[in-house]
Amino acid sequence: MSALLEVKNLSVDYITLNGAVRAVDDVSFSIEEEQSMGLAGESGCGKSTIAYSLMRLHRPPALIADGSIKLGGRDIIKMGEEELRQFRWDQISMVFQSAMNCLNPVVKLEKQFFEIYKNHGITKNRQEARARAEKLIEIVGIPKERLNDYPHQFSGGMRQRAVIAMALALKPKLLIMDEPTTALDTVVQREILQRVYELKKELKFSILFITHDLSLMMEFCDNVSIMYAGKIVEQAPAQTILKNPQHPYSYGLKNSFPSLHGDIGYMEGIPGSPLNMSRIPRGCRFQDRCFRAQDICFKEVPPRQQRGNDFYDCHNPMGTLTGSRN
Amino acid sequence: MTLKKLDNHPLFKFLRDNPKATVGFILIFTIMLLTLGAPMFTRFEAGFRSDQYRVAPNSVFILGTTQLGRDVWAQTLYGGRTSLLVGILAGVIAVTLSTVIGITAGYFGGIVDGIITMVINIAMVIPQIPLLLIIAALMGGVSPMLIGVLIGFTSWAWGARVLRSQTMSIRNREFIYSAETLGETKLRRLFAEVMPNMLSMMSSAFVGTIIYAIMAQATLEYIGFGDPLSVTWGTMLYNAQNTAALQTGAWWELLGPCLGLIVLGSGLTLINFSIDELSNPKLKAQRIMAGYYKAKKAEITYTKAGETE
Amino acid sequence: MNYIFKRLGFYLIAFVAAVTINFFIPRLMPGDPVQMYMAKLYQTSGKIDAETIAAVEKLFGFSKTKPIIESYFEYVGSIFQGNWGFSFSQYPLTVIQALTRGLSWTVFLMGTSLIISFLINNLLGIVAAWRRGSKLDSFLTVGGQLMANIPAVVLALLISYTFARSEKFGIFPAGYAVTPLFRPANVLQYIGDVAYHAFLPVTCIVMLQLNGIMGMRANMINQLGEDFIAMGRAKGVPEYKLMISYGARNALLPVATTLAMQIGFMLGGSLIIEVVFNYPGLGKVMIGALDSRDYPLMQGILLMSTILMLSANFIADMMLLILDPRLRKQGR
Repeated sequence: MSALLEVKNLSVDYITLNGAVRAVDDVSFSIEEEQSMGLAGESGCGKSTIAYSLMRLHRPPALIADGSIKLGGRDIIKMGEEELRQFRWDQISMVFQSAMNCLNPVVKLEKQFFEIYKNHGITKNRQEARARAEKLIEIVGIPKERLNDYPHQFSGGMRQRAVIAMALALKPKLLIMDEPTTALDTVVQREILQRVYELKKELKFSILFITHDLSLMMEFCDNVSIMYAGKIVEQAPAQTILKNPQHPYSYGLKNSFPSLHGDIGYMEGIPGSPLNMSRIPRGCRFQDRCFRAQDICFKEVPPRQQRGNDFYDCHNPMGTLTGSRN
Repeated sequence: MTLKKLDNHPLFKFLRDNPKATVGFILIFTIMLLTLGAPMFTRFEAGFRSDQYRVAPNSVFILGTTQLGRDVWAQTLYGGRTSLLVGILAGVIAVTLSTVIGITAGYFGGIVDGIITMVINIAMVIPQIPLLLIIAALMGGVSPMLIGVLIGFTSWAWGARVLRSQTMSIRNREFIYSAETLGETKLRRLFAEVMPNMLSMMSSAFVGTIIYAIMAQATLEYIGFGDPLSVTWGTMLYNAQNTAALQTGAWWELLGPCLGLIVLGSGLTLINFSIDELSNPKLKAQRIMAGYYKAKKAEITYTKAGETE
Repeated sequence: MNYIFKRLGFYLIAFVAAVTINFFIPRLMPGDPVQMYMAKLYQTSGKIDAETIAAVEKLFGFSKTKPIIESYFEYVGSIFQGNWGFSFSQYPLTVIQALTRGLSWTVFLMGTSLIISFLINNLLGIVAAWRRGSKLDSFLTVGGQLMANIPAVVLALLISYTFARSEKFGIFPAGYAVTPLFRPANVLQYIGDVAYHAFLPVTCIVMLQLNGIMGMRANMINQLGEDFIAMGRAKGVPEYKLMISYGARNALLPVATTLAMQIGFMLGGSLIIEVVFNYPGLGKVMIGALDSRDYPLMQGILLMSTILMLSANFIADMMLLILDPRLRKQGR
């Protein structure tokens, strides 16, 4: 297996009235072909910023300060405007956080599909685009007649399905899902995700799944990266994170969500609130909220403990608590 | 040492950060100084008549004289007093009305809101100038103060509408609900919780209405609505028009009142910008964006974000 | 279409409110307008008989014998029948006749200005939002706002003096809508002459509306922050199209709803501008009515300008209906 997406040393700054704040700090990760990777963390930890940066959709006042993002060998950061435009959606597509708001409210669904084909030079013929759109939209379980409707005529779940259908229109290599189902109820959530994963097998694309809901992630992802305060603090196969997390933050995050299949246990949660990114302390970023913090955590940045593709950044890891790490 | 302290004073910091407000305050201060301190800047009374009729500006008559031999500069200074006063009077009346009406509608909602909103909407489609004209025609010559009162009573609709929607959005915020569960009376909540959050909105509406009132006053007096014997910027324009100042090329007769109105309006407008900026985080974002463009220019390594420049 | 009926209902209520104001204002004022009117009528026609007195009383709805409610309904009825009374400064013209000529020029002036300022404001608003935070942005928003807060009289006087009367730049006419006694050889010549006369007044009105830049800019920025813009960009929609058919298309909706207010300010301004430029519109009629204390004509102007406002609003509503599919759904 070769890496489809390779992100190296990515840093993203937000410009504020008091200077630049680094929201994503020196992040590296990769996604293999047909693999599904999860990116988890609290709100504001920079996970959505990463998602947007991968398509260079980050909004001002965000700026990519450093790093490279390579998909199939092409560096997205070095692309010109037109190259980038062609690249987006064709190679990477994205299902946005708010299905409610990500469709143009004054344009019929059919035309929103047509735009995709037209802008990527697939077809300028309305009928042909319509035929393609019909096929797609039926895949996600929406009757084809509804292409004539405006977005406000759909329910939230249906809109999200429509967006997923659109995201698959050009058969991209990577699908980014940025908290795709947070606005939906649990039943609809699972239904939609299951459909996406069926399609993934069929169409053979990779997934970057972003959520703060770890239990959902464990179920659908091969690999998981845990983010805290702009950095990836641990990366490992989903099962490892679930059973044997090393970073105390991963442990806390895992324990703050009920598992759908596991036993109902005590949910601990994580004390304190997310780090203020304009005041980053010396040493480990998680120090103030960590129940395993030692003196060294307040003095030195934790070194990276690497094993193959997996790693964690911690002075005092959880160790082998519930089984051995493989 | 004291200078340094003064430099760090919040007021100075505010003025430094808000060039628009600074310019605005300077303009308003100038107008205030010139009009309220009129005797310091001219040796003529407002009603002074010389035997020189319609002479161009010279060393004695800085802005020339009118057809009747009145000194334009003196009239501008003294007339400005009245114009300012009328504007403030109309502003106070209109803002009081729009506050009471707007907050009542927004806060109580339901049928009260329905009726008041209907009244506001109607008030907004009935044209004001013709309405004022009818009232004035029936009353005969109208003194400047009465003009102020009339303008105040006919220009509350816009402010009421803005304040209504603002009240509604504040009302729906959680802290009002929490106050409600604590068992405070509706009226107490209105004054203790809602009003403080409306202050910037109200002051913005106040300044906006003063601008409007001064404009409306000049307009009404220009078309002969007011008392031509009173000295205001509007009646000065009216008299200049009536004595064919434009046709005979006596531009200086218009200069004083026109400049006064423009400077006053601009000053208030600039101040209003800053009030909006204080209360509206979106406008603050504009300054962040300015920093963003700077950072982007400075560091070529920054990659173009997803937006066009 | 529910939406349209709702709006039409509102217009009807608003018009009745204007008629009601017209009816009650004379009653709230000191002095007797009937007496005033009689005196004036006596001056112009020389004699007054009982029949005339009855007619005048009916016209104003003043009657010493009938209850006020009854006279009110009679008054409203006669207004709706198109019986707005006679203008006494232009006797024997009826108020409606006296208004018609002026009305057409005002509609022309305002309509032209509205279209031009709609285009300019929204275009510049889009540009300002596009380059938000830049110097151009500050210039457009602050400049537009400052321009709009110059009193209409002042702007009109300055422009009229500079471009119509001064020796150096006075290349435009200082009055009238067409050259007096002008015999155009063809339609084009006539249109040219009308445009030549309308140029300065329209410029003034458009300049006074420039605060619309800021409104459009704010709407635009709101829209640009929406997710569907990001999604459009992700889909590969070119930037200019995102600006126009995604951003601007949606930003126009709130603009259309605030049009009512804009037209209100515009009407007040354009009446005055007509006066300064000696343009034969409603504003000119208004001044004439004020000078001769032609009370019925003034009332007619209030009603007519209300109708003007309502029609403009109706057009704005229709525009909104075309632009916003969500409204259409409600209407079904």
